[in-house]
Amino acid sequence: MLSRVASSLYWLSRYVERSDGILRMLKINYASSQDTIHEFTWDPVIRISSGGNEKEISAVKNDSRSVVEYLLFNRDNPNSIINIITLARENARSVQEHIAKDLWQCLNEYYHTVKDPKLLWHIQKDDPITALDILIKQVMLYYGTADSTMERGEIRSFMSIGKYLERSIQSIDTLDIKFISISDNPDLLTDTSYWKHLLLSLGGYELYLKSYREGFGAENVLELVMLNKDFPRSAIYSVNNIHRYFERLKSEKNIDHYNNLLFNIGRLNSSITYSSVYSMKEEGLHQYLVNIKNELYTIGNLLNEYYFANS
Amino acid sequence: MIGINVNNYKNVLNTWDEMYVHDGNLRGQYHEIINYLKKESLSDLNKKEELAKRLFMSQGITFTVYDSGEGIEKIFPFDIIPRIITSLEWSLIENGIKQRLKALNLFLKDVYNSQFIIKDGVIPAALIYSCPHFLREMYQLNVPHDIYIHIAGIDLIRDYDGTFYVLEDNLRTPSGVSYMLENREITKRLFPDLIPRCKVRSVTEYPSILYKNLLALSPRAVSNPTIVLLSPGMYNSAYYEHTTLARLMGVELVEGRDLIVRDQKVFMKTTTGMQQVDVIYRRVDDDFIDPLAFNPNSALGVAGLMSAYRKGNVAIINAVGNGVADDKAIYSYVPEMIRYYLNEEPLLKNVPTYRLGNADEKEYVFSNMHKMVIKKTNESGGYGMLMGHAASELEIENYKKEILKDPRNFIAQPTISLSTAPCYMDGVLQPRRVDLRPYALYGPDGISIVPGGLTRVALKEGSLVVNSSQGGGSKDTWVLSS
Repeated sequence: MLSRVASSLYWLSRYVERSDGILRMLKINYASSQDTIHEFTWDPVIRISSGGNEKEISAVKNDSRSVVEYLLFNRDNPNSIINIITLARENARSVQEHIAKDLWQCLNEYYHTVKDPKLLWHIQKDDPITALDILIKQVMLYYGTADSTMERGEIRSFMSIGKYLERSIQSIDTLDIKFISISDNPDLLTDTSYWKHLLLSLGGYELYLKSYREGFGAENVLELVMLNKDFPRSAIYSVNNIHRYFERLKSEKNIDHYNNLLFNIGRLNSSITYSSVYSMKEEGLHQYLVNIKNELYTIGNLLNEYYFANS
Repeated sequence: MIGINVNNYKNVLNTWDEMYVHDGNLRGQYHEIINYLKKESLSDLNKKEELAKRLFMSQGITFTVYDSGEGIEKIFPFDIIPRIITSLEWSLIENGIKQRLKALNLFLKDVYNSQFIIKDGVIPAALIYSCPHFLREMYQLNVPHDIYIHIAGIDLIRDYDGTFYVLEDNLRTPSGVSYMLENREITKRLFPDLIPRCKVRSVTEYPSILYKNLLALSPRAVSNPTIVLLSPGMYNSAYYEHTTLARLMGVELVEGRDLIVRDQKVFMKTTTGMQQVDVIYRRVDDDFIDPLAFNPNSALGVAGLMSAYRKGNVAIINAVGNGVADDKAIYSYVPEMIRYYLNEEPLLKNVPTYRLGNADEKEYVFSNMHKMVIKKTNESGGYGMLMGHAASELEIENYKKEILKDPRNFIAQPTISLSTAPCYMDGVLQPRRVDLRPYALYGPDGISIVPGGLTRVALKEGSLVVNSSQGGGSKDTWVLSS
C-alpha cells in the first residue's frame, strides 16, 4: 500500500474517533450541567477537548450552550468537531478508492450533517442534546458501516491502529485531567457525581456498577479505566488492539522496522499489564499517565517514520 | 393534473432538435420516454430532480469552489431528461471516430518519427514546429504498440440539418467519463424499468476495457504489472473522476510525491518499501509531468519520468506530446490526414476553419467577425473565445488587436448553431443546446467506443457554450440498440 494512503487512513480514523470521544463527553457533561445547584465547571472538559487558547476558553466556559457551540463549530479551535470532521473527510477523499464506497458516503453525510444549520439552532435555541445525539448517531453509523463493509487487511489494520491509539490517549487524558482537578479540590475525591460523570462520558458506568459493589471511589475508577481488559475504552484494551492489528502488518520486506515498532508496543503493553493501582500511586499518578502517553506518542512517531514515509 | 405537456414545446427556429420534428411530432426514439413523462405528475418529476441532486451530493460527486476561504461544494448541474441517439446515428459516429482516431494516431507516429506528411507537403512544417505542444522530447521515442492516443474524447455537434460535425479532438487528458458512468447510475434510480424498455445499450464496460488496455501496455513481461493512475491530487477539479476510475479498475491512485525514479525506472513508495511501476495512466498535463524535462516549477510530476519513458521502462497513457494533434490549427488538416494516411474520405465532417496565420483567410474573417467564433489554438474549456454574434464592437476591436500580435495562435469558425435537446426546467420541457463527447479507447486490439458518452448542455437560454467551466450541465446519453 502507498505510504501516503496508509497515513491518510490512519488519520481519518483518528479524527473520527476523536470526534466520538468529544461528542460523548459533551453530552454527559451538558446533561449534568442541567442537574446541579452549583455553578457547573466546564474547565476540564474544554481542556481535554479543545486546542483553543485561554482567552477563548474563558469567554465561553460559564455558559453551557456556548461551550457546546465552541467545541462543535468554532473554526479557530483546531479540535472543534467541524474542523476534525473536515480533516477526516479530506483524508477519506484522498483515499476514496481504498475505502468502501458506503464508508465514504457515510463520512460525507457526517460532514454535511455537521454543516446543517439546523444543528446550530438546536444548540442555541432548542435542546443541545438533540444536536449531539444526531452527531453521535453519525459516528455509530460510521463504525457500523466500517465494520460490515471494510475488507480485513492492511487498510483496516492502519485504520484500527489509528482508532485505538486515539482512544487510549483520550482515556488517559480524561483520567489525568480529572485527577489533577482533585489535587486542587480534595473534596471531589468523595463526590459521587464527579466519578459518575467521568464513567458516563467514557461509557463505563454500567460496567463499573457490575464490577464494584462498594460505590464510587477513585481507585476503582482508575483500575477500570486503565486495567480492565473487557472495557472497550480502557487503556489496556486499546493497547492490546494496537498490538493485535500491528502484528498483521508483518512483512519480510521491512522486518527491521517492524520488529523495532513491535518491541515498543510490547513494552508499553507490559508496562500497563504489570502495573497496579498501588504501583501507579507509588510512581505518582500524573507521572505514570504522562509516561504512558509518551510511549503512545513514540508509537505514533515510529509509524510515521517507518510506514508513512514522513521521516 | 398530469405531467408534461409536449405541445407547448417551443423549439428554436433553424435548429435541429433532438426530440421534436414539427407540428407536435416527435422523433421515434423519444416516444417511449415522453409517454412515460406524460403519466408522471409534475410533483413527482420535481421529486426526481431533487433525488438526483441528493444522490450527487451524498456520493460526493461535487467540485469545490474556493473563493471565500471556506470551500463551497457544488454539484455539476444535471438534467434528468436523457439525450437519445438512434443506432443508425451511432454507427456513423462510431465509424467516423474510429477512422479519425486511426489517422490522428498515424499522424503522431509520423510527426515524431519520419515526418512524411511534412515532406510530402500536406502540412506545412512551420505550423507543426510553431505548436507549443509539439515536444522534441518525443522525437524517435518508441511507444508501446505505436499507440499514442489511448483515450480520446472527440466533441461532436449537429448543425441545423442534423449533420454531425467534429468540433474538437481531445487527445491529451480528456475528462468527463465518470459523468457518463454516474449519470447512467442516477437515471437508473430516477426512471426505474425505463432503460431496459427503451433498449438502451450499457456503458458499464468502459473501466474494464480501459483496464485491459493498460494491462496490455506493460513494458515488463510480468504476470501482474503495477498500474497506477497519476492524479494532480484532491484539489484538482476532476479528482472525483480520478478516484472513480481508480476504484472501478482496481488500480492505485498516486500523486507525484508518491513516485520516484531510480536507474530510469519508476517506483512508488509503499508501506513495505519501493515497488516498481509499469503503467501510468496520467491525468497530469505534459507541462507538469516531469520538472526535469518540462516546467521546472511543477510539484505535480515526477523528476526523471521522461528518462524512464524514453528508456521504455514505463508506459505513459496518453503518450506525451499528443497536443500537436489536437491543436486547433492542426485540426483543420485532419480531413487531409485521413485522405493521406488511410486513402479514405472522412465520415465525420470538420467545421470549416479559417487559419488566421494565413493572410487571405484573416482578411475574410476580419470582414465577417459577427458570423464567426474565434478561438485560441492552444486553449480549451471555452476559455479565450470570442463569440462574434454576441460580441460588442469594442470587444471585437480589442480581440482583433489581440489576434494581430500572433495570428498563428487563432482560428475562426462560422457560428454553428448546435442542436437542441429537451430539458426539464421549471415544470416544462425547454430546448437547450447540446454537444456530445463519446469516449474512444485505443488498445493493441483496436479501437472501442462505449455506446454513450457525455452530453453537455448549455443551461442558459440561447447560450451556445456548453463547457462546465462556463456554466454548462450534463445529461445521460442513451444509445438505442435498434
